[in-house]
Amino acid sequence: MKASQCFFQDGEHKWVAIVRDPDRPDALIDTNEYLVACNGSGLLLDPGGAEIFPAVFSALSSGFDPASLVGLFASHQDPDIISSLALWLEFNPRLPCYVSWLWASFIPHFGGSAESFVAIPDEGMEINLNGLPLQAVPAHYLHASGNFHLYDARAKVLFSGDVGAALLPSRTEGLFVENFDAHIRHAEAFHRRWMGSNEAKRAWCERVSRLKIDMLCPQHGAIYQNQDVERFINWFDGLRVGVAVG
Amino acid sequence: MTQIPGTGNRVLIPCSAGQDLVRIVQINEEIKSIVAVAFKINIMALNAIFLAKRAGTTALGFGVLSNELRVFSQDLKTAMGGLGGAIHKAVTEVSVLLQDQRVLRLLQEAERLSGGNARVREAVLARQEKLESHKANLAQQRRQLKLVLGNVAQLVELGGVLAKSAKIEAAYGQAFSFALSQVSGEFDGVVEEIRLSLSHLNKSGFFARGRSQ
Repeated sequence: MKASQCFFQDGEHKWVAIVRDPDRPDALIDTNEYLVACNGSGLLLDPGGAEIFPAVFSALSSGFDPASLVGLFASHQDPDIISSLALWLEFNPRLPCYVSWLWASFIPHFGGSAESFVAIPDEGMEINLNGLPLQAVPAHYLHASGNFHLYDARAKVLFSGDVGAALLPSRTEGLFVENFDAHIRHAEAFHRRWMGSNEAKRAWCERVSRLKIDMLCPQHGAIYQNQDVERFINWFDGLRVGVAVG
Repeated sequence: MTQIPGTGNRVLIPCSAGQDLVRIVQINEEIKSIVAVAFKINIMALNAIFLAKRAGTTALGFGVLSNELRVFSQDLKTAMGGLGGAIHKAVTEVSVLLQDQRVLRLLQEAERLSGGNARVREAVLARQEKLESHKANLAQQRRQLKLVLGNVAQLVELGGVLAKSAKIEAAYGQAFSFALSQVSGEFDGVVEEIRLSLSHLNKSGFFARGRSQ
């Protein structure tokens, strides 16, 4: 079963990571799901694939009432991000899913109807979570052509989807990056291949450099905190991406 | 070049709805082969009509039967079209059932792992209700298919009688007797082919499941 770990809390405002499932079948890539909660309402970020729904649901419900979820946020359209949508909608048919307008008619192949989606325009938008303003930050082409990250200015947390992702060895347990140089080796090939545009990467690095970020939370791997956030942005800025031998 | 493992083997899906889907695909293939045979009868009957015309008055009866066999082939094609339509409905129901089963499995697992979350329990019950309703629809489709198969079997019996009568009529064909016998023998052969296909269809596990339910 996945573990749920609260890594930021300020009164009723918290961030919870749902990570590391030892029972996950090897064929499934490991994913991180995040819950942002404020004043009893929650937004689940990249809720995961259908096959891991039971593990995510149970980990979530161990510290939060899933009935208090008021929305889902999908950074992009991949199956490991949002193929569980139909199951979340079985649980609560009125749960809206925030996603790039580009995918609003693709994701319904996983479930839901036109009413299930809140289409995020290319420039991003603010999402108000029961009084907490969250910003959908454009990250197009990193890696999907319609792609958003989510920034919480109060917590100084940036959910960065696949940016910052690392494919860690199977028995890795730590929630945070402990040794940047050792960690980034597990991120390099992923970023070179999955991130398709150097131009988009540059724009993203400039955009997020202007934000105050204490923690950068990717969908795979470990969370970057404090100095490692800047280290990661600089590393990414200098990396040549969109490289594949074919 | 990479060899795809298991190429050429039958797909084996362990769950019952999955097995039904495999069986329906097999039924559909059998239907296609019967439709192809119906087309063959049509062409054969057309040739037989020309042959009877050449044989003149000695093959008048044979000509009438050839005409009837042509009508039979068209009726058979129509009946198989109906069967094909029923099969497509059954495919839809089985696919929905497969989806129900997957969703139900994941919801039940979520309920178990979360220690019996009440709202997930509600979702489980709602999905179980849907699954039962889809099962009932599928059972209805099964009965409908069986009924259509019964009608097709009756039609094929008529085709068999026509082919046998054509054989008898061929004997009166005098100089054309050999040619007419050959054609009527072919009619008999293809009707037997259809009978065999229908017998395979009737033995399909898809209908056996219907009897055990």
